[in-house]
Amino acid sequence: MLRREQNDLLTQTGPGTPGGALFRSYWIPALLSEELPENECPPVRVKLLSERLLAFRDTQGRYGLIDEFCAHRGVSLWFGRNEENGLRCPYHGWKYDVTGQCLEVPSEPAESTFCQRVKLKSYPLVERGGILWTYMGDPARQPPLPEFEFALVPPAHRFVAKRIQESNWLQALEGGIDSSHVSWLHRGELNSDPLFKGSKGNQYNLDDARPVFEVVESPGGLYIGVRRNAENGNYYWRITPWVMPSFTMIPPRGDHPVHGHFWIPIDDHNCWTWSFDYHVRRALTETEVQAMRDGKSIYVQFVPGTFRPLANKDNDYLIDRPAQKAGRTYSGVWGIAMQDASLQESMGPIVDRTKENLVSTDNGIIMARHRMLKAIKGLEAGAAPPGVETAHHRVRSAAVVLAPDQPFIDGAKDALAVREGVAHATV
Amino acid sequence: MLSQSARATAAEEARYRVDYPNATPRRIRIIALDRSAEGVVRRLARGAWNGASFMTAVRGEAAPDWLGSLAGDALNLLEQISAADAVVTVSTAGESAEDVAIIAEVCHSRRIMLTALVIDPDALPDAQLLRTVTPLRACASMLVVAKGEEYVEAMLTALRA
Repeated sequence: MLRREQNDLLTQTGPGTPGGALFRSYWIPALLSEELPENECPPVRVKLLSERLLAFRDTQGRYGLIDEFCAHRGVSLWFGRNEENGLRCPYHGWKYDVTGQCLEVPSEPAESTFCQRVKLKSYPLVERGGILWTYMGDPARQPPLPEFEFALVPPAHRFVAKRIQESNWLQALEGGIDSSHVSWLHRGELNSDPLFKGSKGNQYNLDDARPVFEVVESPGGLYIGVRRNAENGNYYWRITPWVMPSFTMIPPRGDHPVHGHFWIPIDDHNCWTWSFDYHVRRALTETEVQAMRDGKSIYVQFVPGTFRPLANKDNDYLIDRPAQKAGRTYSGVWGIAMQDASLQESMGPIVDRTKENLVSTDNGIIMARHRMLKAIKGLEAGAAPPGVETAHHRVRSAAVVLAPDQPFIDGAKDALAVREGVAHATV
Repeated sequence: MLSQSARATAAEEARYRVDYPNATPRRIRIIALDRSAEGVVRRLARGAWNGASFMTAVRGEAAPDWLGSLAGDALNLLEQISAADAVVTVSTAGESAEDVAIIAEVCHSRRIMLTALVIDPDALPDAQLLRTVTPLRACASMLVVAKGEEYVEAMLTALRA
């Protein structure tokens, strides 16, 4: 349970809010690189942290993320002409560069310097790992670019996608670090999904219905370990890292690529669910990539031409009651991603956490909230929050079998760190 | 026509959530396992709680029983745990937590969830931390290693203790 003011602090991320200041301390994913595929391509509307922005790629290939609206009369520059190193408003011809600087005001005299005094708000936009990242905070405190491993492997080793989720970002994140729901909500998929099935770890999952949990603070966030019985008195551990504010990785299964997420606020009622898969040692196979495109694993099928899932709240998530009754899917919603999203959206845009009744196995969630509230307070006092340093990004999830007397944080120490060229520790 | 889900999840629908206490306060026993943890528990006990009871398993010559109140009175371990919905132990990293075994035995026999919190402000080396977490790991269904004692309060508040 959270007090109302705590819930507000964590869920409100617009300009001027403490939670917004926290998110503005980090580089965050803004859009897929493929959304701006070539120089002078059409601009893209982007709403992030409750700010209406516009992304474009100019004649020289420079990326820009600027205020969506023309400084003149407030027209959306989405209608703009992307030409000769700038975006020109089609209403009266005002033209802006990738920094938001106005370059031309055609109605002014030829020698006028008026345009130099007009500048739209802009943020840096940088390509890395198939994603265009932005930093929306104080330029004087801009951190180095993110160094999450998935973004640094060769492009053929990686798959990245995003989808709209119609809930506050925190509901989605809390699902990502809630390890105890997997055995219920996703139990049907462990042995059927093409990107999950076939690992020995799944059998440990299914054989031991009473997992034991451990939560340990890390420099950048948390490690959440879930322990189940393995052979000869050993324990099978699945370890999920969370890096502030919203990066998580799912522990691997067999030789499948490793999955992970970011959840980034669009506004307080919607967020982007970013999903990625990667394999350190090999390129993803055509079959794997096709499964991801087909909406398997943590991915979805889309309403054509959009990032909205095909199964969404307007069609009741295509809930299949006979499949639910027959146990083919536990909730009746098909697919791991929409099983999560449907339930998280069902809580309403911002769940009222004053009414919830957490239990001990929710300690991962409780600790994550605690650390974020602490970071918000620290930020107000001038301290950089956890997760800003690139060293905090170099974490991995792991699935390992350890002796009973070995703490996972010790026994899996190497497995939880990025090691160049070394595959994930997996069972 | 709007689907049921679209209608039900609109922001304005949130105000129609039933305003009624959907659970009664849980009876949670918070037990200190070492002297330093006892200090934490004493500080917490001064606060206002719904169903939390604070006690200590630190034994001395004056209090040889397994469980005592913070005022120094002997408490019956079986009675205390049997009357609880959940038990939380509090330990300090580097200190022995062997006494958790008897508490855990009662918890298991009564089917009561045991959560172990370890406060590790100095991020002790693994070998020293192991002294504390090894016995806890063998018994607790949830083990949390936190850097600061303020997490104990945050967790108890989150659990509506």
